[in-house]
Amino acid sequence: MSVAKGTLEIRNLSKSYVVDNNPLQILKNINITFPAGAFVSILGSSGCGKTTLLRIMLGLETSYEGDALIDGEKIEGPGSNRGIVFQDHRLLPWLTVGENVAFGLDKLNRKTKKLLVDEHLKLVGLSGFEGAYPAQLSGGMAQRVAIARALANKPEILLLDEPLGALDALTRMYMQKELERLWEFEKITMIMVTHDVDEAIYLSDKIIIMSSRPGIINKIINIPSSRPRDRASSEFMQIKAEILNEFHLGSEYPFAYAI
Amino acid sequence: MTISNKTKAFLGSSIVPLLLVIVWQYVASSGYVASFILPSPNQIIKTFVTNFVEKEYALHIAASLKRVLIGFLIGTVSGFSFGLLMGLSRTAEKIFGPFFNVIRQVPIIGFIPLIIMWFGVTELPRIIIITVAAFYPVTLNTFAGIRNVPKEYFELSSVYGYKGLKLIRRIVIPAALPSITTGITLALGMSWAMLMAAELFIQTYFGIGTRIQLGRDKFNMALVIVGIITVGALGFFMTTIVEQLAKALDRGKIIRKET
Amino acid sequence: MSLKFLQRFNVKDRLLGLIVPLFVLALWQGAVSQHLFSELLLVPPLTLWNTIIELFRSGDLISNIQVSLNRVFLGFLLGGSAGFILGVGMGLSPVINRALGPLVKVLQQVPELAWMPMIILLFGIDEFARIFFIAIGAFYPMIFNTYQGVSGVPEKYHELARVFDYKSIRYLSKVIIPSALPSIITGIRLSIGLSWMFLVGAELFGTESGVGFLMIMGRQMFQIDVVMAGLVVIGTLGLIINTLLKKFEQFVLRGRVSFDGGAA
Repeated sequence: MSVAKGTLEIRNLSKSYVVDNNPLQILKNINITFPAGAFVSILGSSGCGKTTLLRIMLGLETSYEGDALIDGEKIEGPGSNRGIVFQDHRLLPWLTVGENVAFGLDKLNRKTKKLLVDEHLKLVGLSGFEGAYPAQLSGGMAQRVAIARALANKPEILLLDEPLGALDALTRMYMQKELERLWEFEKITMIMVTHDVDEAIYLSDKIIIMSSRPGIINKIINIPSSRPRDRASSEFMQIKAEILNEFHLGSEYPFAYAI
Repeated sequence: MTISNKTKAFLGSSIVPLLLVIVWQYVASSGYVASFILPSPNQIIKTFVTNFVEKEYALHIAASLKRVLIGFLIGTVSGFSFGLLMGLSRTAEKIFGPFFNVIRQVPIIGFIPLIIMWFGVTELPRIIIITVAAFYPVTLNTFAGIRNVPKEYFELSSVYGYKGLKLIRRIVIPAALPSITTGITLALGMSWAMLMAAELFIQTYFGIGTRIQLGRDKFNMALVIVGIITVGALGFFMTTIVEQLAKALDRGKIIRKET
Repeated sequence: MSLKFLQRFNVKDRLLGLIVPLFVLALWQGAVSQHLFSELLLVPPLTLWNTIIELFRSGDLISNIQVSLNRVFLGFLLGGSAGFILGVGMGLSPVINRALGPLVKVLQQVPELAWMPMIILLFGIDEFARIFFIAIGAFYPMIFNTYQGVSGVPEKYHELARVFDYKSIRYLSKVIIPSALPSIITGIRLSIGLSWMFLVGAELFGTESGVGFLMIMGRQMFQIDVVMAGLVVIGTLGLIINTLLKKFEQFVLRGRVSFDGGAA
């Protein structure tokens, strides 16, 4: 039996911090399965613990109750089977673009390294930029390098922590298309934390909606519609309305607008 | 019962000095090393007490303090004026800047043989050395502080019709104040350091440096160490006072930090 | 590129910078011509120039410069590397920081020159005493700037290192040191600058060689031209060293236009 690698499961997970001797619950009883090869978004307002959840999956947070499993095995710490794209591109300013992409490939020989770097820079559309320094790049380009760095390690799962949050609206939409293209090409699991509703609908097979204090899962929405998605379609709008309702932002009093 | 973090930190930082003193006392009293090379902590305390009981020691301290204060004041006032001039006028910067920057490369101590030949072994060369030591950092930091005043402030000033002296007093100096006070604090440290050069290389009857030199001439290490402690402690008190004054002067500190 | 070139070598600005030196020179020559001061106190600029050339030709200057440079180098190597190692240790480990930090801060309150009589008592006025003294001067800027750089490595880079499994030497050489590099290089620059300053101090305490020795001899024999020549040499070498270090800094930190990168 062949098992599709890249399944991530969260079981009965809770986490709390102690603030001034009072426990503050960040996450409460979270249960999710991220199927292999799916694009899943975690959507919520700031403070709902979605980034904490992502850091648990990444292995940077290790103290919590419950289980976080990859392909059935407990997450003990960061590992090369998971890649991460942070909101700030987090490129090392003293390394060139090429060296940044190779950051996780340190153990490979020079030739393989170069091959992988070239391949992934090409993939994100930045061939020829390997000698540039991060400070010379625009925000969108820097984020693409960060994505290349994460993918170069051939992860089973790519974690994205509000990856496009620092970009302007137009670059952002363009990068969403790029992310979709990369996801279709790599055929790996992608888990993205975001607070942008349109972005989540455009990209995801499944959207997990969280609410805060304590962070719990409010609703899980499956989006079966075909890709690429039309942001102006009625189906898109309908899903959007459904999500906004969850945040009590829907037009409950449609007549209010008429006044 | 738990020990508070503060106590822990204090204990942690006193371990090494405490160990040093214990080893020191042990080695000194063991007789392996001659006492004029390594007096025991005990001997030093004794010397300290006898020194401070004598009225003469107070005269040495007073002489050093007076020297430093005169040099520091002259150096600070002239450095501030010079820095202000170069900061406000690009022409003045172009005229005086290059010469200032070249002269500044000469280590201050290097001037000592020359000014002794010019002015003899008198108080004047000592004051000159200390003045120059204070002059450089105040000039540099005043200049840099003024040049770093955001141009938005100047735009704002021109909108409200601030000009000339009013502009300097109400906008330029307050905006450059943190840098200027940094310069003054550095100047005090430099003056204090160069006081030692002034007293060790330009012989004088009174001064802490003189006492340290006396200890060396008499092969009395305890006297040398007491002198060193005196210099260190006085330097510390004066710097602390100036730093506190600088803090009190910088009223907009919190706002400035955030922007 | 060409615009930048023009800006850097703006002829008018350069000429403005010559006003003060020329004025000083004129004043100097004028004072000499009018016999305002005795020849013992002020020699004509030309005599000073001739003295420098003469010292240079006879080989005296070169050999003494070599001795001095050697001292600075050894002192910096000793004090700078001690400061670097302790600075990295203190920056990475709170325990080491708590143990050593306060001690270093207390010792730093003592002006470097105040240690010299003690060092002389311990080692005599010999080569080691001088190098040790220079090392003290080199030590402080190095330890503080290294500590500041290393302890200031942003948490995000530590996280990145954990994600990509960087440990021990690799972690230090690929993440910590490069991140702290601007601060470390500032430390090196200040450290060498102070070494140069304290070299002069060390030599004035008594020595048989070095640029400082030239000046002491000049003073004792009332040859003010030699003293001034020594001063010119010290200043020029200081200027050269500083310029080279600045170039070095620019070279090493090239590409880091804005240190925090584009986004954020």
